[in-house]
Amino acid sequence: MLTTIAAAVLATLAPMQGETDTTIAVPAGASLSVNNFGGAIVIHTWTQNRVKVHAEHGSRGSIEASLVGTTLTIKAGSRHGSPSVVDFDITVPAEMALNLSGTYTEIEVNGSKAAITAETVDGSIDVRGGSGNIMLNSVQGSVTLADATGRIEVNSINESVELSNVSGQIKAETTNGDVTLWGIKSSSVEATTINGDVEYEGTITDAGTYTFTSHNGDIQISIPEGANVTLTVATANGDIDASFPLPFRGTREKHRYTFKLGTGSARMEAESFQGDIELRRPAEMREHQKEKEKDKDHEMEQEEP
Amino acid sequence: MNDQWTDRLSEYVDGELANGERGALEAHLATCAACRGAVAELRQVVARARSLEDRAPQTDLWSGVAKRIGAGQVVDIRSRRFSFNVPQLIAASIALVLLSGGGMWVALRRPATPSGTRIVTPRPDDFTMNASADRQATRIWTGRTDAAIADLQEDLQRNEGRLDTATVRVVRENLALIDRAIGQARAALDADPGNAYLNLHLADTMRRKLELLRRINAIASAQS
Amino acid sequence: MPRQVLEVTLTADSVAADAALAASGDASAFERLYRAHVNRVHSLVRRMLDADEADDLTQDVFVRAWDKLSTFRGESAFGTWLHRLAVNVVLARRKTLGVERGRFHSGENPLEGVSGRRETPEISMDFEEALANLPDGARQVFVLHDVEGYRHEEIAQMLGVVPGTSKSQLHHARMALRRYLDR
Repeated sequence: MLTTIAAAVLATLAPMQGETDTTIAVPAGASLSVNNFGGAIVIHTWTQNRVKVHAEHGSRGSIEASLVGTTLTIKAGSRHGSPSVVDFDITVPAEMALNLSGTYTEIEVNGSKAAITAETVDGSIDVRGGSGNIMLNSVQGSVTLADATGRIEVNSINESVELSNVSGQIKAETTNGDVTLWGIKSSSVEATTINGDVEYEGTITDAGTYTFTSHNGDIQISIPEGANVTLTVATANGDIDASFPLPFRGTREKHRYTFKLGTGSARMEAESFQGDIELRRPAEMREHQKEKEKDKDHEMEQEEP
Repeated sequence: MNDQWTDRLSEYVDGELANGERGALEAHLATCAACRGAVAELRQVVARARSLEDRAPQTDLWSGVAKRIGAGQVVDIRSRRFSFNVPQLIAASIALVLLSGGGMWVALRRPATPSGTRIVTPRPDDFTMNASADRQATRIWTGRTDAAIADLQEDLQRNEGRLDTATVRVVRENLALIDRAIGQARAALDADPGNAYLNLHLADTMRRKLELLRRINAIASAQS
Repeated sequence: MPRQVLEVTLTADSVAADAALAASGDASAFERLYRAHVNRVHSLVRRMLDADEADDLTQDVFVRAWDKLSTFRGESAFGTWLHRLAVNVVLARRKTLGVERGRFHSGENPLEGVSGRRETPEISMDFEEALANLPDGARQVFVLHDVEGYRHEEIAQMLGVVPGTSKSQLHHARMALRRYLDR
């Protein structure tokens, strides 16, 4: 069913057998806002200037869609004041900016080339793609982001945060989980956790700033040969271990050491209160990663009946 | 004037010539009035550069800046990153303490300068620096942060009912996690009061608690 | 190891305090910082670019400083941090203006070609005007090295040249400016 909507609020789309399918034409430069309560939001992209919505819900459920100006808003409808549980599968133009939120909602995005804001309380967030301002927040779920570029802020509280193949300005934070950054191209990175490890494999550009902190976990950083970085390393109870000579030319006070590599142009801080700080070369870190994955595969194999 | 030394004169003035070259140039200077004159003039240029005075812009540019930073508007605290770093926090606390009539000096342990000299600014004769002064300074800024945390915790208690029990449990567990971290940081700091890293780490960890509380409060109030 | 201490006086503290307050959104604290530093920033911008751009770019510097205040860790003086930020803004602006690296002359008195004046010591142009008339590359290096105190290695990185070029440009600038020393 193809529906074209002018700048007016749509009526609630009538559900049939617990499913709704509709396609909506959108102007260029339009943005999408999806507000769910329980259920998933899954976004795919295509090159058409239309938004295709597939929603699965109970037979009493419904969805509401409205296009006001250039914002298309899609919501799970509510009957008698209680929100229904809806699983959305929406295909949008790749350049359509996304604003996705929910409470018991998993969010998944594939192939976007636009700005993305995704917030949920109890659900994971999994984004592949994204360009521009990207802000991903979950409380109880893990957050992963891949193949993105722009000004990026990724937060969880109770689970891990993982970025791979991402470029731009990056801030990644969680409280009870690891922060893992791989394949990063950036001159501004901040990664923090309280109870988890921090891993960084990426560029260290001149004049860049990099901050990695944990309270109760290890920090592992890849330092390419020839990197120019003033590195301040601090740990109250842990060890500092480098796979290459660290020219101690800098300042020292108890718990905190500064080293200058090359011209010292970039500034990096690696601090863990109780954990170790490990400085490795990129090749080493990748080897180590391969080993870890082999072990994981091994574990999984052994679990199969 | 152009001899083989002309182009090296600036390096000489800046002390960048290696010993051998410097000796050779100085030997040359003894016999070359033109180069000697040039060296003197170069030194004057450097001195003149260092003494250049700063001039104010002809118009007041503040209003343009104020407009662009949205000064005078209500600041959305969720969009500002709060970074309570030690020198800033201590400084802010000190400013307040001094404004309210107290007199306090704080010693911050800073790394040694490369030449190993001590950096000292004039201080009152009767002041003694010691660990208890450091602890006092820490108590001041942690006190303010504790107050902010307490306010937010009250808010959360009022709002908790809007969140489901699983979320409340997760939030409480994470707050407890941060509290444990804060406790450990405080204990370490108490044993080593002036340590800049430990101060900073405690400040960062307390800030995390503040941010968590703010975020959960925002989520709770957004639930209908 | 003996305790090395840095004692903090009130005046240094009030800057740091204002920086802390401004970082948490206090615009009047930021205005105080602005008043304390605008002359220096404006002069730097004027000397490195030109008078026409200086007003706009000075505002850009402070707006950027406001945005980035949350990253100021207080380990260096606020003025130093602001200053480096200003230099970065100027350098970025140069790139946008398409200033080519190729304009690094060698040899001749840079000022002769530009101003067409003859070399006489009674020239009426003052030192700052003469500075503004230096060719671009020599002027950047002179301002960064002799006025602002950066080292050749740093300047080379900022301007995208090798330290040797920075040194020779500095020398040419100084040699040209000799004639405009105030007497």
